[in-house]
Amino acid sequence: MTTFKTIGKSEPRRDLPEKLTGEAKYTADVQLPGMLFGKILRSPHPHARILSINVDAARNLPGVRAVVTPFDAPKGQVAPDMPILDTEARYVGDEVAAVAADDEDLAEAALSLIEVKYEQLPFVTDAVEAIKPDAPQTRPGGNLVGGKPLTLIRGSVEEGFAQADRIFEETYSTPAQAGAALEPRAAVASWDGDNLTVWKSTRGVHADQLALSLALDVPRGNIRVMGQNMGAGYGTKDETRLGAITAVLAQRAGRPVKIELTRQEEFVAGRHRHGTTTTVRMGVKNDGTVTAVHATTIMDTGAYLSSGPGVIRRAGQGALYLYRCANVQYDGYLTYTNTPSGGSYRALGAPQGHFALESLADTISEALGIDPLEFRLKNHVGLEGQPGERVTPANEVLDTQPVEGGVPFSSNGLRECLQRGSEAIDWGQPSERPESGNLRRGKGMGMFIYRGGAGGRSIARMRLESDGSLRLLTGLMDVGEGSLTVMPQIAAEELGVGYGQVLVTFGDSETTPEAPLTAGSTATFSTGTATKEAARQLKARIIEVVAPLLDTEPSNLQITDDGVEHIQYPERSVSFAQIAESVGEIEVEAAISPGSRDHVINSFGAHFAEVEVDTDTGQVRVLRYIAAHDSGRILNPKLAINQVEGGVSQMLGFTLSEQMLTDPRNGVTLNASFLEHKSPTVQDFPEMQVLFADVVDPVGPFGAKALGEPPSIGVAPAVANAIYNAIGVRIRDLPLTPDRVLNEIEAQRGDSQ
Amino acid sequence: MAQLPISYSASITLNVNGTDHQIEVDHRWTLLRVLRDVLGLTGAKRGCDRGECGACTVLVDGDPVCSCSMLALQVGGRQVRTVEGLGDANSLNVLQEAFLAEDGGQCGFCTPGFIMSATALLESNTDPTEDEIKAALVGNICRCNAYGRIIESVKAAAKSEAS
Repeated sequence: MTTFKTIGKSEPRRDLPEKLTGEAKYTADVQLPGMLFGKILRSPHPHARILSINVDAARNLPGVRAVVTPFDAPKGQVAPDMPILDTEARYVGDEVAAVAADDEDLAEAALSLIEVKYEQLPFVTDAVEAIKPDAPQTRPGGNLVGGKPLTLIRGSVEEGFAQADRIFEETYSTPAQAGAALEPRAAVASWDGDNLTVWKSTRGVHADQLALSLALDVPRGNIRVMGQNMGAGYGTKDETRLGAITAVLAQRAGRPVKIELTRQEEFVAGRHRHGTTTTVRMGVKNDGTVTAVHATTIMDTGAYLSSGPGVIRRAGQGALYLYRCANVQYDGYLTYTNTPSGGSYRALGAPQGHFALESLADTISEALGIDPLEFRLKNHVGLEGQPGERVTPANEVLDTQPVEGGVPFSSNGLRECLQRGSEAIDWGQPSERPESGNLRRGKGMGMFIYRGGAGGRSIARMRLESDGSLRLLTGLMDVGEGSLTVMPQIAAEELGVGYGQVLVTFGDSETTPEAPLTAGSTATFSTGTATKEAARQLKARIIEVVAPLLDTEPSNLQITDDGVEHIQYPERSVSFAQIAESVGEIEVEAAISPGSRDHVINSFGAHFAEVEVDTDTGQVRVLRYIAAHDSGRILNPKLAINQVEGGVSQMLGFTLSEQMLTDPRNGVTLNASFLEHKSPTVQDFPEMQVLFADVVDPVGPFGAKALGEPPSIGVAPAVANAIYNAIGVRIRDLPLTPDRVLNEIEAQRGDSQ
Repeated sequence: MAQLPISYSASITLNVNGTDHQIEVDHRWTLLRVLRDVLGLTGAKRGCDRGECGACTVLVDGDPVCSCSMLALQVGGRQVRTVEGLGDANSLNVLQEAFLAEDGGQCGFCTPGFIMSATALLESNTDPTEDEIKAALVGNICRCNAYGRIIESVKAAAKSEAS
């Protein structure tokens, strides 16, 4: 058994001390001399052409220093379907113009002096309506993105359904769920001649640098993006428009400008989890063997594409790959509407897709008289992967979201998750019967599959600095997940020094090498692999340069906490400071594109919930929750448990209380506040147990796989299935609010009478 | 014609973390705005600016309040305590140490607010039950939902204060 110095230990979160004392600076905390405050004018119409904008009165207000409108903004794009400012507004809240003034109140007053002439256009606020032939068109190319669905096929569902004894089909819907990170997005921009510095709430400084360069037509080398601490985003903070508007205002004013969104703006103009309607059709043999799975998802991307194509793709992966089956198909319809824009939100479409799939699995289990756990144990995909023929050429890296069969996983702990999770919740034991007559208890479960963490090309730089300290530099952002702690653990372990000895520089486009977004649960796997490789190289270089100093061969030397020593004669040693003094700074850089040609790398898990339903009030209380995960080796248990617990609690919000409501009459978001888009609080947090499968992935750094997003996938089906188990009522539309629970109890009682 | 801002100002004495500050405040300014923009104490965060999230929690005469929902004028002559008054990263207090050991935070944006609410709790109740801890923190939203670790942190702090 391998023993580690720091891997697998709960090293304290490195950035937490300064967060506990208020010293940690977030973007809104940045203060610069002469800084102005910016505000954005937003469209009151869901779809309108902007005919003219009169800014004279605003400009003449004393203290107003800059104004930008679509008619005078730079012409660059911040995204393929989004210029810096546009003469067409596509949802209520869309950016129309912006001002910078001496203070926030003046900026607000200036907005009210801007006169805009709009020509209102036909609009649509519902995705299912939007793909009908006579729907109002949000764009000249039509509402359906790409003009056709995304269709992915393995085998033939026609054949699969022909083999089935029984076929089941159900339709489920999930609402738009606001990301609503507690830090409203903010940006600060400051120009020095041709050079622009932007401080921004972001999950990728290099991606922002590139996007701002394209939007503003400023060379990339002239732009520096600094991440600061990031008040979370769960994937939602990946747009460039705010930074670009701030930069344009700062350039015009000749002074630094800060824009902080209000909470209401963050709800409306931030990104949210896409609303979906998913129909799943499954064919099974009477013994429970799955013969065909066909899922169809209609997904509302809102006014802009954002990361919609990635989200619609991921919504289908459960249907394509969770159950062992030769014949599967997924059709994804991504549609524009005149509502706020969806975006990346923790596990993208996977929670939506799994909600439908794993709810239907329970319906099928019941109809066939098979225990839901047994149905999963019988049919879940195993280590060998899916049946079928490999399509990817043998010398190419396999997709972590495959469709093809014939490709085995690098590791698969799904069965262990099912077994240990079910034991922990006493699956075979019915729930206790509560004393009160209105309370019913039940248990439910759901399993899931997700990409395992191999993401984009990552670069890590490691340095022995001139004072003898060791430093890791990456462009990664710690958005609350803990990479600022786990990366130095990986580096320290590989080097052979203590965790605390590796210093870290993150999230500054000028001083750190390029990293992909902190996204898709890829940071530990991808940047971690680059970090491990950089540490390996640094270790080799240090030993190589020390060998002549100690008059020996490199193979006789080892790294210690203090420096380098001779393995047989430890008294022959040099400290890191002495090495740096003798040979100067040593720097290495490792660039890797992670992945495997032989294996599909995926994470897995199974969630189990016990709930209590009050049949008088419709209130659902989660009594107990078991989250069992295969994320490979856990590098920092305490951070990992926090990540899983947080993901589950966050998605209890999605399951039970949160939804963005748009008024279909005028496109207005009706509940842009924490009081009305109801976030879980500490009082909603259930008794929870987190289990990790005993898996060491052969590809991931120190055996790790993805962990950040998977906790969010199993929650809705586990809770919805538990509610069904408690009261015999199947609710197919999230969130499972008390009114909906009561209405369904009434309706389904009515049906049976 | 739009309403232009009209401002009246007054001079108040604001006692923050034991130090008196003589400040000229606009009548519309909230305590949060004065702490952040005038005094440069940015530990209290503007998460919603309407008393829904608790990220701006400070103590006024020992009671936790949303500083975004209190006018600076209301606080003249009263004692304000902010997270900056508790300790710095090199000398954490018992509560902060417990949060570090139990990993009671993720992105950290809500953390100063939780620390101040928990401070008020533990100063009035040295041995709180889990329900009392939850009741004291229910006004603070953590969107990372690190609630499990936060509850453990406060429990650990109470235990270590008692020993």
